[in-house]
Amino acid sequence: MKRRKPWSMTAVLVVVMTGVVLGMVLCTVALFLGTYRRSIQRSAQTSSRQAVDQVSNTVAGYVDDMGGVMSLVEATLQTAPQGSAVREEFFDNLLKIRSDVAAVTTYSADGELLNCWALDHTPREEIHENLSFNRETLTDYAGGYISQPHVESIFEGWYPWVVTMLTPLEAGGEEAWVAVDLRFGSISSYINNVGIGQHGYCFLMDQSGGILYHPQQQLIYSRLKTEDTGALASRPDGVYGENNVIYAVQTVEGSPWRVVGVSYVDELVTANVWEVTRLLVLSAMAILLAALISSIVISRALSRPLKGLSAAMRQFERRADSFTYAPVGGALEVQELSESFGHMVVKIQQLMDTVRREEINLRKTELKALQAQINPHFLYNTLDSIAWMCEQGRNAEAVQMVNALAQLFRISISRGHELIPIRSELRHAESYLKIQKHRYKNQFSYRFDVEEGCLDFLCNKITLQPIIENAIYHGINGLVDEGEIVITLRVEGADVIFTVSDNGVGMDAEQIEAILRKERSDHTGIGIKNVNDRLKIYFGEGYGITIHSEPDEGTVVTIRMPQVREEGEYENR
Amino acid sequence: MKTAKFLGLGILCLGLLTGCAANTLSAAPRDITLVAKSTETEFWQSVFAGARAAASEYNVNLTIVGPETEEDYETQNALIKSAVDQGAEALVFSAISYTENAPAIDAAAEAGVKIVVIDSDVDSEAVGVRIGTDNIEAGYMAAQAALDAREGELIVGIINYDLGSRNGQEREQGLRERLAQEARVGEIYTLNVLAEEDDAREKTMALLQAHPEINVVVGFNEPTAVGAAQAVEALALGETVDVVGFDSNVKTVDLMQTGVVSALIVQNPYAMGYLGVEAACDILGGESFDPEQLVDTATQIVTQENMFSLEGQKALFPFDTP
Repeated sequence: MKRRKPWSMTAVLVVVMTGVVLGMVLCTVALFLGTYRRSIQRSAQTSSRQAVDQVSNTVAGYVDDMGGVMSLVEATLQTAPQGSAVREEFFDNLLKIRSDVAAVTTYSADGELLNCWALDHTPREEIHENLSFNRETLTDYAGGYISQPHVESIFEGWYPWVVTMLTPLEAGGEEAWVAVDLRFGSISSYINNVGIGQHGYCFLMDQSGGILYHPQQQLIYSRLKTEDTGALASRPDGVYGENNVIYAVQTVEGSPWRVVGVSYVDELVTANVWEVTRLLVLSAMAILLAALISSIVISRALSRPLKGLSAAMRQFERRADSFTYAPVGGALEVQELSESFGHMVVKIQQLMDTVRREEINLRKTELKALQAQINPHFLYNTLDSIAWMCEQGRNAEAVQMVNALAQLFRISISRGHELIPIRSELRHAESYLKIQKHRYKNQFSYRFDVEEGCLDFLCNKITLQPIIENAIYHGINGLVDEGEIVITLRVEGADVIFTVSDNGVGMDAEQIEAILRKERSDHTGIGIKNVNDRLKIYFGEGYGITIHSEPDEGTVVTIRMPQVREEGEYENR
Repeated sequence: MKTAKFLGLGILCLGLLTGCAANTLSAAPRDITLVAKSTETEFWQSVFAGARAAASEYNVNLTIVGPETEEDYETQNALIKSAVDQGAEALVFSAISYTENAPAIDAAAEAGVKIVVIDSDVDSEAVGVRIGTDNIEAGYMAAQAALDAREGELIVGIINYDLGSRNGQEREQGLRERLAQEARVGEIYTLNVLAEEDDAREKTMALLQAHPEINVVVGFNEPTAVGAAQAVEALALGETVDVVGFDSNVKTVDLMQTGVVSALIVQNPYAMGYLGVEAACDILGGESFDPEQLVDTATQIVTQENMFSLEGQKALFPFDTP
């Protein structure tokens, strides 16, 4: 599974803190807005009801007033005889004073128009249809009624919209009914001016839902607007909220009319709520910003020293030996951490030092142990060869062999020193080669090619012998023709380079790898790996053995080491 | 770096918020000009009332202009130009001449003014929406009213107004199509008069005197209908000649009660004015209409029988508060 890249402390802190604050602010805002919206809605309903109550009272007052006018009209009609001056004067004044009154008409019991008073208008001679008085419907309204709005239809060239108040007159006179046609003047201007909210309004309807007066009456008549009065008519007085619209219904006292107030929740509530929301969101943003900044500051204070610490750790990882630790400041916990790290650095450096010393000691001990146990086969074979030479009387040769053997042992022992002069090492190698040449019955020749100036430098002892041994066993041994081993020594810059080359069968890459990796499996003598390890421990990674080999061509082993003049020069490292 | 980014984000949010707040302030009112065919007739008064109602509802600075006569397309063109010069954003327009008004309307549209046509069409690609009566259908209705008014042979006198006016021609076309379907329709005489009562009356009287066999007279708009009815009344031909007119006028309504006028094809001028201004606002608000699809305002036939029904009253008599 792929692991996500971990977040930095700053990011975590900022996200968590901002998230928490945002959550809290949102909850608070939502809670507050909910409450606020409800209370605004309640107050909208209240104001709607109040507006409707007021309109209802005004209309009731108007109806009452008109009732008064009606009583006066009745009284005048009953006291003053038809055609009398009192009557004419009364109606003349009434029509002038009450501009709402469009016309007053009286009818006989048969429905015949008897008298008509209207300013500047006289009824037609032939009335096509009188909308102010309809005998057929009268049977249902023996006590009189207030009609639906209709057009005044008895005059020529004058068709105002009116509502008719019809009342029966006391029996006795010829006139049985009186109709007062009222225009919408004062009521309409009053209702037009009632506003609930920005677009709210009131209208007047009768009990069956017919609209008497609406501020947008003509829009309704032109079928551009409708009111759902049917549903409202069936409901009792009260306040109803429906899809963002608040309806307030109130019956007008003393009349069959009802006032309906229509207001829109959206504009009443939303405008306010939006304003408050804006303020809330602004303050929430401020809080959020503060939270953001403070979380950044806090995380900075925490993470800066930690970053310093981690940088120091990385540095320590790369170069553990030479690292010196400078403590970082910051919070108490960070300082403690820094101190601990400082201690740890010192401890680790001590440990590393100890480990290296122990490693060197180990190699030395190993070398000594190996030197102590010179290959018994080699010793037996050599001694056997010497004995055979003596028997044959080849004394001079035998002496040579014995000397070579002695030389070999002498250098191997060499008083426990690790580094010996190159001159001695070369002598040691030559002794070994001499013995082996005898043993291998001159199957190979050898030759030294040495820069004289190098001979006084020091080198690790028993460096060449294991490599020559390898050249004989793995190179020359399998060869049919005469082999040759060439040992060179030269200076290259500040280094000394040995090469041991043979013209033997060569090795493949796997064999080379094995020689450099593995300890010798036969536990006899010193392996090339041991030589390489010692060189690296002593002089560092840049030094040691490299092997270049071509199958059937031969092998070149190169040993690189620095120029060392005194034994103490590298011991202390 | 990170801090700066976060701070920037915060400031951006605040900026956006205050920006939004500024946007909620109410927009400036729209400037819309209504160019009518005339400013005198009851029909146009009703159109203006509707337009004013919409203007107050939609926060519009409404200017209403029109020539004195319904033949004066040159004045109309001048009015269009001056409305554009005075910065009208939209024109609600009724064309006197289908063809002659077209260049002025194209020029106005060129200047970025939105065009709404009401009542009478103009030959321009720039029209955004057309609102009014389906005039061919209205002509059918007039023919049907004439056919219903009397039995036997019909000799028809058509009192139409300007030949260049689209709606009058469409109404006549509708009428002729319907009448052509009936075998009992005889001769049809056509007059084109000024859209003025007096001219219409005098020419109708002359026509009736020259062709006493005419028994149906059709007036194609308010003044021609009034003039035709007055001519029949003046010649005391109420019993023998049926008058079919267009639109509501006190005079035709009076004469309908005495039986001179048989039927009136009543359009809905208030709705034309109201919907015209409303559509102009909608277009200015980015809405688009199909200009080929007429927004049909309701038209109805009013006769002596139904004139005082509730629907008849609503159609004939505008509700005006004193």
